[in-house]
Amino acid sequence: MFESIQHLLSGFTIATTAQNLLYCLVGAIVGTIIGVLPGIGPIAGIALLIPATFGVNATSAIIMLAGIYYGAMYGGSTTSILLNVPGETASVITCIDGYQMAQKGRAGPALAICAIGSFIAGSLGILGLVFLAPPLAEAALAFGPPEYFSLMVFGFIVLSNVTGGSLLKSLMMAVVGLIIGTIGLDPVTGDARFTFGSVSLLGGIEFVAVAIGLFGIGEVLINVHQPQELLDQKVLVPRLRELYPSLQDLRRSIGAILRGTGIGFGVGLVPGPAPVIATYASYMTERRISKHPEMFGKGAIEGVAGPESANNSACQAAFIPLFVLGIPFAPPTAILLGALLIHGVTPGPMLIGQHPELFWGVIASMYIGNFILLVLNLPFVPLFANILRIPKRMLLPLIILFCITGMFTVNNSVFDIWMMLVFGALGFLMRKWAYEGAPLLLALVLGPKLEVAFRQSLMISHGDFGIFFGRPVSLAFLAGTIVFLLFPLVRLAFQKRKKGGE
Amino acid sequence: MGMERKMVAMALFFSLLAVPLHAAEFPTKEVQIIIPWAAGGATDLIFRALAATTGKYLGKAVVVVNRPGGGGAVGYTEGMQAKPDGYTLTSAVTPLTILPHQVSTAFTYRNFEPVINVVSDPSMFLVRSDAPWKSLKEFLDYAKKNPSMITVGNSGAGGGVHLVALAFERAAGVRFNHIPFSGGGPSVTALLGGHVNAVSVSPPEGISHVQAGKLKILALFSEKRLEMFPDVPTVKEQGIDFAMGMWRGLIAPKGTPPDVIKKLHDAFKRGMDDPVFLKNAKDMAVNLHYLGPEAFGKLMAADHEFYGKLVKEIKK
Repeated sequence: MFESIQHLLSGFTIATTAQNLLYCLVGAIVGTIIGVLPGIGPIAGIALLIPATFGVNATSAIIMLAGIYYGAMYGGSTTSILLNVPGETASVITCIDGYQMAQKGRAGPALAICAIGSFIAGSLGILGLVFLAPPLAEAALAFGPPEYFSLMVFGFIVLSNVTGGSLLKSLMMAVVGLIIGTIGLDPVTGDARFTFGSVSLLGGIEFVAVAIGLFGIGEVLINVHQPQELLDQKVLVPRLRELYPSLQDLRRSIGAILRGTGIGFGVGLVPGPAPVIATYASYMTERRISKHPEMFGKGAIEGVAGPESANNSACQAAFIPLFVLGIPFAPPTAILLGALLIHGVTPGPMLIGQHPELFWGVIASMYIGNFILLVLNLPFVPLFANILRIPKRMLLPLIILFCITGMFTVNNSVFDIWMMLVFGALGFLMRKWAYEGAPLLLALVLGPKLEVAFRQSLMISHGDFGIFFGRPVSLAFLAGTIVFLLFPLVRLAFQKRKKGGE
Repeated sequence: MGMERKMVAMALFFSLLAVPLHAAEFPTKEVQIIIPWAAGGATDLIFRALAATTGKYLGKAVVVVNRPGGGGAVGYTEGMQAKPDGYTLTSAVTPLTILPHQVSTAFTYRNFEPVINVVSDPSMFLVRSDAPWKSLKEFLDYAKKNPSMITVGNSGAGGGVHLVALAFERAAGVRFNHIPFSGGGPSVTALLGGHVNAVSVSPPEGISHVQAGKLKILALFSEKRLEMFPDVPTVKEQGIDFAMGMWRGLIAPKGTPPDVIKKLHDAFKRGMDDPVFLKNAKDMAVNLHYLGPEAFGKLMAADHEFYGKLVKEIKK
């Protein structure tokens, strides 16, 4: 541990050179912008800027590119809160309570708590990265297809009713998500499924199109559907001193932030859709343990603070397998792996030993970067909050425009824009009849991974289902799922007996 | 079917529209390369590095755009429909000759003009260093005694390295249990965790773990030994007549004027010989393999036929 601290100090001397500070700042700014814009995410952002780093040394390059990645996690919540448009998978859940807070004139505290939570989670996440990286990376390798399948089942059952609405409707939406997730090339045999001969559908339905459609476009349509005079209204705009969270807000959020950090860091180590699972799990936890669960979905600040912290620490954890094993578990780290290669650094188990200046320099720069991001983001809160001063009859068409251009930047595909509009119409109907979008999106992300892990496991075991129960990690998740399903019954029985005894 | 015919008609239409270009004027604007995969993969990295060095020889910048989707089908369809004026090139990778046999695509390699081949990487089987098999012979003997018991991971069903593994089991007379993963990275991770017995990969996937001593090359499917691992024998040396790999080159839409192709080819050839690119390629552990338009065209034609047969055999 002492050695780690020594290394970290030498890392700080590398990260605080004028050049590296500048690259860190550029990365943080670009990351924030990319996070704020819907559609274009950290993956595209990093890929676009790799050529710009050709002339600099590897350490500076990775400092900047990593800055884009965690910087995007800061900005990602902005459009979710203000416009109900989730730009990334990680900010879907933030829409639920963040947007409700904004509608009640509390956009400022919502945005600010995101920055504060992200800062705390990011800083703690780096500590985990410094002290726990090697053992955790080895542990992550224990996840093979059977473990992965059981984890997905656990996530699916536990998280599908994330908002606590009607269980039946949530499950219905989850099934719709599963069905949509089967469109495209069969991941195991390579056959085209449900594509009706369309080349564009071979790659499956783009997640961002569904997310922006269901939430962003759906919300605009709901607004248009309201009586004319409501369109002339403005959203409540707060007074200046209400722009930042009150002491009470902070007190309510701190627990959520710390729990979110822990959940995010743990989930971030597991390969796959970590940001989605981490944010859903954090929201679910907060709602469950809250003293006033009825506030969730109506603008509870914990429902913003927890998930936003979770996605930031998940992002820090994702660096562990990249640096320690040279294996990217998340798509943005895959791009960073490419950037390392271009700069002549071979990512792999020998990276930390061969390039200590790079590893510790980048880690130290993350501390600095997180601080820069906090300073950078808090002053923007009033600016962004004031967007809601625009009357709705002007704001709504602008949101549509914003969504369409944002959607196009993801894959440069016009087909995706049409998909987004189709899901916008669906989102409108779902909102009208009180169906939740969150379970659908969860199933869309988890479904394909669940299917692949299931089929891979059975291929390995030659069709023997015992593979899921014979392995300890896998068995633990399945047992956890069953406990979760039985727990409400047990509690119900216990409460009845208690009542009867009195 | 109707879709396909429409696409072909459209391609023909565009090729008629093409005004004969004078190479003397080419290029007057930047040239773009369509990568039919997401940014950050092996193909993307190689062509980004090549684009960076070729620009100065071409006189205009070379820009890389990613059009992922459909296992490459989306990017190739767009590349095929582009104006045949030399300003839109597509990166041609082995799946271009595999995909048309698997799903009904609007394109085959015949819809394009070959420009240059840049890279050709041999495929290989990796196992963990602590695997019970010390040599290829032990591995194959075990596979013969226990058919379909050895699990071999690949980067995706029907993808290049999956077909390599299938072709190898035919050449060696054994049966494996093939497990598809969503990319080379996840398959190598599963091998490291001991969830599969071996993986079929193409460099740079897994190379760093071989260097670190965690994995070893059990079977190398190249004509000659690798510079980086001179002690690893090829399977040919061990009596199995088998060599296969993945190539990566550039193609232009059908009907691009020959003098424009020549100009592009010459610029990319010089970009390939640029010391900066040579260093980048070496760091990425890719095997440079230059082929001119004619030889590259022949290679694509031969592979198209080869994979056609192989895919048919598998589907039986």
